[in-house]
Amino acid sequence: MRIFPILASNGREAAGSLRRNRLRTLLGLVGVMIGVSSVIALVSLGEIARYEARKQFESLGTDLVVIRYNGGSDVEGIAIEDALRLADSLPSIAEAAPRITGRGTFRFGGKELGQGSVNGIARSFASVSKLPLREGRFISDLDINQYFCVIGHQIAEWMRMEGGGDPLGRLVEIDEVLFTVVGVLDHYEESYGLPVQIGANESIFIPITTARRINSNEPIDVIIAVSTPGTDHKVAADDVSTYLHSRSPGSDFGITTAKELIAQMERQMEIFALLLSAVGGISLVVGGIGVMNIMLVSVAERRVEIAIRRALGARRRDIRSQFLIESIMLTSAGGVLGTVLGLTATWAISHFTGWGFLISWFSVAGGLGTAATVGLFFGFQPAHQAARLDPIAGLQGN
Amino acid sequence: MLKLDGVCRSYRLGPVTTKVLRGVNLEVSSGDLMSIMGPSGSGKTTLMNIIGLLDRPSSGSCLLEGRDVSSLKDDELSTLRNRRIGFVFQAFHLLPQLSAMENVCLPLVYRGTTRPAARRQAGEILERVGMAQRTGHRPGQLSGGQKQRVAIARALIGGPALLLADEPTGALDVETATEVMSLLQRLNEENGVTIIIITHDPSVAAQCTRQVRIHEGRLVEVVQHSASPVQPDLESRPIVGGQL
Repeated sequence: MRIFPILASNGREAAGSLRRNRLRTLLGLVGVMIGVSSVIALVSLGEIARYEARKQFESLGTDLVVIRYNGGSDVEGIAIEDALRLADSLPSIAEAAPRITGRGTFRFGGKELGQGSVNGIARSFASVSKLPLREGRFISDLDINQYFCVIGHQIAEWMRMEGGGDPLGRLVEIDEVLFTVVGVLDHYEESYGLPVQIGANESIFIPITTARRINSNEPIDVIIAVSTPGTDHKVAADDVSTYLHSRSPGSDFGITTAKELIAQMERQMEIFALLLSAVGGISLVVGGIGVMNIMLVSVAERRVEIAIRRALGARRRDIRSQFLIESIMLTSAGGVLGTVLGLTATWAISHFTGWGFLISWFSVAGGLGTAATVGLFFGFQPAHQAARLDPIAGLQGN
Repeated sequence: MLKLDGVCRSYRLGPVTTKVLRGVNLEVSSGDLMSIMGPSGSGKTTLMNIIGLLDRPSSGSCLLEGRDVSSLKDDELSTLRNRRIGFVFQAFHLLPQLSAMENVCLPLVYRGTTRPAARRQAGEILERVGMAQRTGHRPGQLSGGQKQRVAIARALIGGPALLLADEPTGALDVETATEVMSLLQRLNEENGVTIIIITHDPSVAAQCTRQVRIHEGRLVEVVQHSASPVQPDLESRPIVGGQL
């Protein structure tokens, strides 16, 4: 085949030309390198952010159904008994944890500790929201109307600072009502994957029946439910909605499932990722224009050489391939270096932010592929120009 | 072998049309050593470009080895240049980044010859022009005469039907010029290479068996020696491997 020796020779010439014009090659290389590395780093970071967000969302479980009470003509909202029976009444719901929230001032040994939220809950709340118990026990089904409480991490700290020692078994005053501490929580990492915040560290948890007793006007503001395994989250949400409206027709509920939120988050992350790759793409285009500029200079400088080659029998396509190979070589080398730089930058950023490092092979393949394409695309015009040069003018040196 | 019939070439620059060649008739036979002389601006270079298949006539016909080249496509002209024409330039026009060997290989590269085969042939031909000791040198490391020898080797390597030399001694001192001219003469006499030399130097022209003058775009035959008869079998004689 005639073409292979020509391509091999063109490849050698292209490599030689890149070696001889060190500064120019370096500039072109840096342009493409920045472009490719920013594509890779930005796309990888987008993917890492997505992964981290997903992890956050999934930390509470993907089978959560969160019901919020939005008010309505029925001021009391759903009855405690109805809320607690939710799981027993619906096959699609495995567990349901209602909550009555209020705020209170906490006092200990006659001294004010601070303010925080008072959550009236049932046993199920601990497992559904994954509250970490450090010592003692959690609220149980037998604590109906009892003045027992489980305190958050921060409250326990405050009590210790007031000289209380171990808070377990001590009495704490919530808005002038005394409660016995039966359990102390560990530090709770808030999950942002839900439309409801627990705020467990500055909270005190009491039996839901007791909460209703202290303040009879406060409705259940949130029910966190878990759907049974294998149930479609939409079916679970529909079941819950039907059940609640039949029990409390005057109330308005907002029902959100974790899967819905995750899907929403994924859509947002996709837009985010697209935006990031667009930014990376722009820098790659700028790098490509740099390469084009360099190649145009190279062609202009080598007009005589091109004319000589044409006189010796090089066809237009031979000249074109020589310059195309040169620009593709340049951008591919920039692509490889840019990949290394991009992955290093991604690693560094994920290291310092504490995020998990993962390599987006899609972005590596994309970055390298785009680099070669940029070489082809932005190299084509200069190569074409070289191929169209008039050999006569070149040989006369004007 | 080469026949120009009523060749005209004009250039249009805006509204002005300049007629450079006004009906050139020329017949070159195989084995000719011909000089084309003329003052600058007379159309020497344009004529050489047309003969060398770098340019096309505006009108008239140009037949190379019986084939009308004015209708050929650019690629076909390139291939024909590669296989049938060898160029020698006043400014040598060697590629500075390549060694003497690689420069000589170039025409074979565009023919698709493999690298080892091309290098072997280039080595042989460099030896015949007396440059065997300098094959790895770059043009910058060679003297003017040496450069022109390399250029001649490059023009010959493809086994061309016609060697076109544009002022081949123009950039050389008298002594080196003489050497180069005697090399060309030897190639013509001993190997039957058809050579056309474009020159403005009467002493160069005087060493050619046929001398043609170009004047205002037309050709005038000045001298036609009978001492160099056309030998019909010369065209097929290989240059590589022959005695220079």
